[in-house]
Amino acid sequence: MRRWQLALAGSGFVLSLLVPLVVHSDYQLQVLFRIYLFAALGLAWNLVGGYAGQLSLGHAAYFGAGAYGLALFTRAGMPLWAALVMLVGLAMLFALLIGGVSFRLRGPYFALATIAFAEVLHAAAKNLPRVTGGDVGVPVPALFHTHANRSFYLCAVLLTAATTAATFLISRSRFGYYLMAIREDQETALSVGVNAARTKLHALLVSAAFTALGGALYGSLFLFIVPDQVLSIDISNEIAIVAMLGGAGTLAGPMVGAAVLESASEIFKTIFQEAHLLIYGLLLIVVVLFLPEGIMGGVEAIVRRRK
Amino acid sequence: MKRVAARLLMLALPAAVILASCKGGGGQSNTFKIGVVSSFTGPQAAFGQAHKNGYTLALADLNAKGGVLGKPIELVYYDDQGRPDQAVQGVAKLVDQDHVPVILGAYTSENTRAMIPAVTQREVPLLIPTSVADNLMQTGSPWVFRVCQGSGNYAHAILDFLKHNGDPKTIAIIYENTNFGQSNDTAMREAAQQAGLTVVDEEAYQASSPDYKALLARVKAKNPDAIYFGSYLLDASTLMRQSAEVGLDPRYYTAAGTGFSAAEFPTKDKGAGAYAEYTISVSQWLPTAKWKGSKEFDEAFLKLTGTHPAYHAMEAYVTLAIAVAAIEKAGGANPVAIRDALRALWLPETPFGPIRFDEHGQNDHATLVTQIQDGQYKVVWPPDAAEAKPIVPTPPWNKRQK
Amino acid sequence: MDFFTTLQAVVNGVLTGALYALVGMGMALIFGVMRIVNFAHGTFMMLGMYATYVLFVQAHVVPYYSFPLVALGMYGLGYLIYMALLRPIHGQSDFMQILLTLGIGLAITDAIQLVFGADYHQINFPLLEKNLHLGSHITVNAPWVVSFGIALVTGGGLYFFVMHTMSGRAARAIAQNRYAAPLMGIHLHRVQAFWFGLGVSAAAVAGSLLLPVFYLYPGVGDQFTLKAFVIVVLGGMESIVGAAMAGVLLGVVESLTSLYWGNEWALAVDFAIFLLVLSLRPSGIFGRQKA
Repeated sequence: MRRWQLALAGSGFVLSLLVPLVVHSDYQLQVLFRIYLFAALGLAWNLVGGYAGQLSLGHAAYFGAGAYGLALFTRAGMPLWAALVMLVGLAMLFALLIGGVSFRLRGPYFALATIAFAEVLHAAAKNLPRVTGGDVGVPVPALFHTHANRSFYLCAVLLTAATTAATFLISRSRFGYYLMAIREDQETALSVGVNAARTKLHALLVSAAFTALGGALYGSLFLFIVPDQVLSIDISNEIAIVAMLGGAGTLAGPMVGAAVLESASEIFKTIFQEAHLLIYGLLLIVVVLFLPEGIMGGVEAIVRRRK
Repeated sequence: MKRVAARLLMLALPAAVILASCKGGGGQSNTFKIGVVSSFTGPQAAFGQAHKNGYTLALADLNAKGGVLGKPIELVYYDDQGRPDQAVQGVAKLVDQDHVPVILGAYTSENTRAMIPAVTQREVPLLIPTSVADNLMQTGSPWVFRVCQGSGNYAHAILDFLKHNGDPKTIAIIYENTNFGQSNDTAMREAAQQAGLTVVDEEAYQASSPDYKALLARVKAKNPDAIYFGSYLLDASTLMRQSAEVGLDPRYYTAAGTGFSAAEFPTKDKGAGAYAEYTISVSQWLPTAKWKGSKEFDEAFLKLTGTHPAYHAMEAYVTLAIAVAAIEKAGGANPVAIRDALRALWLPETPFGPIRFDEHGQNDHATLVTQIQDGQYKVVWPPDAAEAKPIVPTPPWNKRQK
Repeated sequence: MDFFTTLQAVVNGVLTGALYALVGMGMALIFGVMRIVNFAHGTFMMLGMYATYVLFVQAHVVPYYSFPLVALGMYGLGYLIYMALLRPIHGQSDFMQILLTLGIGLAITDAIQLVFGADYHQINFPLLEKNLHLGSHITVNAPWVVSFGIALVTGGGLYFFVMHTMSGRAARAIAQNRYAAPLMGIHLHRVQAFWFGLGVSAAAVAGSLLLPVFYLYPGVGDQFTLKAFVIVVLGGMESIVGAAMAGVLLGVVESLTSLYWGNEWALAVDFAIFLLVLSLRPSGIFGRQKA
């Protein structure tokens, strides 16, 4: 990324921060919140899925850790900052567990292991009402009391900015090159002395931390959560789809994916009514067939051809 | 170059949403808009469809009578897909985009619970047609009104029936692990202890499993006098069929409505057929209910869909009628005025019985206890509403006629 | 719990597990031959159930007679889907295959809802009322026994097909080395389409057999996709015998979990075992250990 590109990205985010001056509708802010939130989640996922090439379909585990962490740690009497630290810690602990088990595995085994881990947490949250409130749910403290939608939107933009910056720095660092080396050819990476398991684990830890913050933000917006909302496989899939559709392993991919998918799902719902999931499914199929590297991959290919 | 393109794309798309969404909302319209959130796709879509049928019939009736405040009524639907986050998004869209002054919904208790902070924040009244979990009415929000009865009331109705019909000593609770199920479990556990019954077993289950025989064997080992189910329709059918297979013979099969009070439940093609016989359940409404308009609704529904309605559709029907009555009384689309009108509302005659909300927003609806006799729901309790004598205790499976 | 209650739970678990086994075998076939993790697997099972339902309602054919027809139809659909959608992305990353099967699953599920409505359906015929008594303590519901028998025959047939026919050898050749196989004169896509169709129709047959004792709605297959994942991993991913045994094992484990701990934990136990196996023996309980 050259300097002017950096400036462009920076100004893009500044512009995003100014959006609430123009957009006053809570609904539009909420849709925009979702776009930025899923952009941040997709970017976080991208560290593991895109750069390291490890397909995680269980990011709901970290997302849920964030949302439930905020609810349960504050209920236990912790101040907000401590709860935030603890929930990030909790998600990283989960990452450590799942990484320890599954990074020795390759390909689909890893993906399936991540699903299994998230599903075990999902079932535990449902079936331990004394701890989590079970399906009856648990209230989440409000992070903002006034101008809630605007504040949440700004928080999501900041989170996206932070994950973008982190991704950018990582992709330029030795750590990032290790990750990409593992993705391209794990054997060769191993042979030149890259500790593959540890490198992947570090990426997952960073990814889990950002995902947990996203989960906490999401939970607090709704003020009340149930397991099916924050720990279900739908969340895991949505995070992965956003990044894969936008273009795994690219910096702009998750942002583009989130913007396309979240707005598409809202618009489709209004236009196609009960058929909106059919159209959404077809959209996925079309993207896979015609843009096999994701949307950003497709854009890059077009640009390359032009040059 | 490519990054510029990406940037532009990513700025252009949200802008497109905003433009697209602006087009739909706002502006001067000649209709009066009311918002509806329910599950039209996803696992609960069958119930969302029942809601939609009820709303459709109510809409036709009300518009035939001239709509509200001289305008025809328009319903703006939002599909929550059975997901709480989508239900909340629905509140945002309906209020901020479509400017509806009142919202009806959702179907599941999870989704309705998630909507409560959102409507409270936006200060728009929420009318709940169907969700029964007790935690919905415990938030203290002044914007929430519930038309149906809650699970606490269900437990008391069943216990009252049992006390006067053989007075069993032990009870086992079987419930699905959702907000609806857990809420019924908690309500029954607490009410049973107060009433002096021993709760010998509480079994949660994962909904839509093909095999509940092991669970039922566990219950059988505890040998309870009565069983209380909190289940949706299809699990209700599976549970009863498999109870026969396992030979589970309590003296009373009782249930917290829902699956056990659906029109399909006693039928052979879509329910448990003969296995449903003798089950006792609370019910919010039946096509045979004595309230005026029940029969007409049943007929209209049959004409629209080809099947008889369950109470979900009736609850949707009456909820829209209530909303319109309140808007009429408030004299405009002001949410505060509509809320105050709902508070003071008194509709002595609806097909769902008299409607009046207490200070918590709960409609004091009369819960009926029914028993399936010869494949028909018969009201057996309370005595003043009863149309048949209860058959208790339940005959054991091997003594039943095939 | 006394001995007979436990035995009864094991028997019930085996009967349910036979259907799981069929779903898992279909998944293992698809994975073994073309390395596709099929997220639409449960959707295909659901389609099989709807096909069976339509045949029952329109032509009054009970599932135990209609399943071969359903299998054939679903085989054709699977073949077409492979040729139209999966072949073009041949050689792309796992990511794209998963995205594609997710998209196929969503689109088909919603399309079915648009055609048949969201309503629940079930079917009813006299055999469902029959219970068989084995000794004085064990009772089994007749349709489960019939479905077990059919699952056994179908599963056995699949095994024979893979091991002893030309196309089975071709498939195993592709599974061993997808680059060398075409050099040996194997038509890669035709063989893969064939096996994809077969995997899909195995799931559909399981759906046919499950329908009489279960019910039907557009999203009914989703939970079985997850179960199929567990089964193929326990079974060793590409081994169809492993998948069959893992399916039965899963049925028994779920039944015993329900009996001794509680039904709501059955799914969690499935996944916990799955994680345990992955961490201790990644090639599966029944798979061959690789270096």
